[in-house]
Amino acid sequence: MGRAVAALMTRDLRLALRRSGDTLQPLGFFLVVTTLFPLALDPEMSRLREIAPAALWVAALLSSLLALDRLFREDAQDGSLEQLALSGRSFALLLLAKTAVHWLLTGLPLVMMAPLAAMALGAPVASVPGILAALLLGTVALSLIGAIGAGLTMSLSRNGSLLSLLVLPLAVPVLIFGARATALAIAGESMSAPLYLLAALAVLSATLAPWALAAAVRIGLE
Amino acid sequence: MNWVWFHRFGSPPHFYRLATGMTPWFAWAAALLCIAGVIGGLGLAPADYRQGDGFRIIYVHAPSAWLSMMVYVVMASSAAVGLIWRMSVSHAIAASCAIIGASFTAVALGTGMLWGRPMWGTYWEWDPRLTSELLLLFLYLGYLGLRSAIDDTGRADRASAVLAIVGVVNVPIIHYSVIWWNSLHQAPSVMKFDKPDIPASMLVPLLMMLAGFTALFFALLLIRARGEVLRRERNARWAADALNVAAGKV
Amino acid sequence: MEHFLNMGGYARYVWPSYALALLAVVLNIYWARRSLRDAQSQARRRIERAGQSDAIKKGAP
Repeated sequence: MGRAVAALMTRDLRLALRRSGDTLQPLGFFLVVTTLFPLALDPEMSRLREIAPAALWVAALLSSLLALDRLFREDAQDGSLEQLALSGRSFALLLLAKTAVHWLLTGLPLVMMAPLAAMALGAPVASVPGILAALLLGTVALSLIGAIGAGLTMSLSRNGSLLSLLVLPLAVPVLIFGARATALAIAGESMSAPLYLLAALAVLSATLAPWALAAAVRIGLE
Repeated sequence: MNWVWFHRFGSPPHFYRLATGMTPWFAWAAALLCIAGVIGGLGLAPADYRQGDGFRIIYVHAPSAWLSMMVYVVMASSAAVGLIWRMSVSHAIAASCAIIGASFTAVALGTGMLWGRPMWGTYWEWDPRLTSELLLLFLYLGYLGLRSAIDDTGRADRASAVLAIVGVVNVPIIHYSVIWWNSLHQAPSVMKFDKPDIPASMLVPLLMMLAGFTALFFALLLIRARGEVLRRERNARWAADALNVAAGKV
Repeated sequence: MEHFLNMGGYARYVWPSYALALLAVVLNIYWARRSLRDAQSQARRRIERAGQSDAIKKGAP
């Protein structure tokens, strides 16, 4: 099982790196959106600092949505998902591995670039570790929740904004705890309460989402 | 444990007959309870000592809010039964729930805003209950959107069942997170009715409205579910019998 | 009666609330019955069509 998971992950990683332009799009989107906030507001740092958590998290949420549509679509079309489903191995675990690769390629780069965006919005350097921790946990949960939506809509030709409508309400708790943790980090206060709650969300979605994901993808493959 | 009733319930002709027979009971119960509740709530209950006559909105707001949540739970649990035991009747029930639930969620939001205006001085306040209702409305809209995006009924049933189950696991988390988010800012909502010594003349109409709306939901559900069962039924023999019997008296 | 309609000054909020709830109830009853009627007429058409094709099959040989 471990070998199968590793093989699947290297295959997905290699495929994605071959088209790094597509893969990096959500990251570019994240940076552009966070740049738009100062332009729409005004360049005064103290006001930017107030909206920095909201800007960071809304941008992270939207850019994670942007990448979701492609998560299963091509693999469903070329039949490789069907092969995985019939491989006799735990489908939930294999899909969890695919989601993990997706997070490595879209979530992790976003987390790495977030300090830059945060400091551009007036966050102090001391808040960077806290922001990194919150986004790390938050993007994991967002990828897992989003994967369910991607699985449910992967076979629909006209899904347009449906995926966002399915995923965004479910992502609300991540947004609330994440933005609050970031706000506390920027204010230099203890962020342990929202951070624990984010960690709980990440663990909960890592344990429950794969089963829903497997069911959703199986239905999509029928 | 005797499971005969369960299999019987799952058989479309039996369900169709049962639903046809039970609808008038629920409908009459709903009509009587709601009329009595409205008379009691608008006429007989005394004005609230703090909110005056404005509190009477509770008699339509609370039952709608109750339905919005109960219907989602009914929808998700029948969807789960349909998914696990592959029962088309269960899927038919789940499919019938969404529009009813969404419309009462909208009523809960609208009446909540109308209640908020005199109490808060503004129609919209980011009050935890109103915010949760709004998110619940989005969940219903997502469910309806997914259903209408899939043409094949069987697949729409199963995909939306997964969504409903994911949603029902998330509803308490969303609700808790919204309360947590809101508790950082202000005192809890004024839309509370938890005085220990609430007089019976206020409480009884409220309970009647709650029961009446619940009965109304089941009446609507049974009517819709009959239609959904017919749509899912390919083997037409029992349907022909049922329709001859039911023809003209829907 | 006027006192009742006035709702202690809250008439602007109380009556629209009840109207909204009533509207939802009426619409839901209408939608539910229409949905059932549509399903029944569809099923009836399907049965009639099936009946005709049965008759054709029986008549054919």
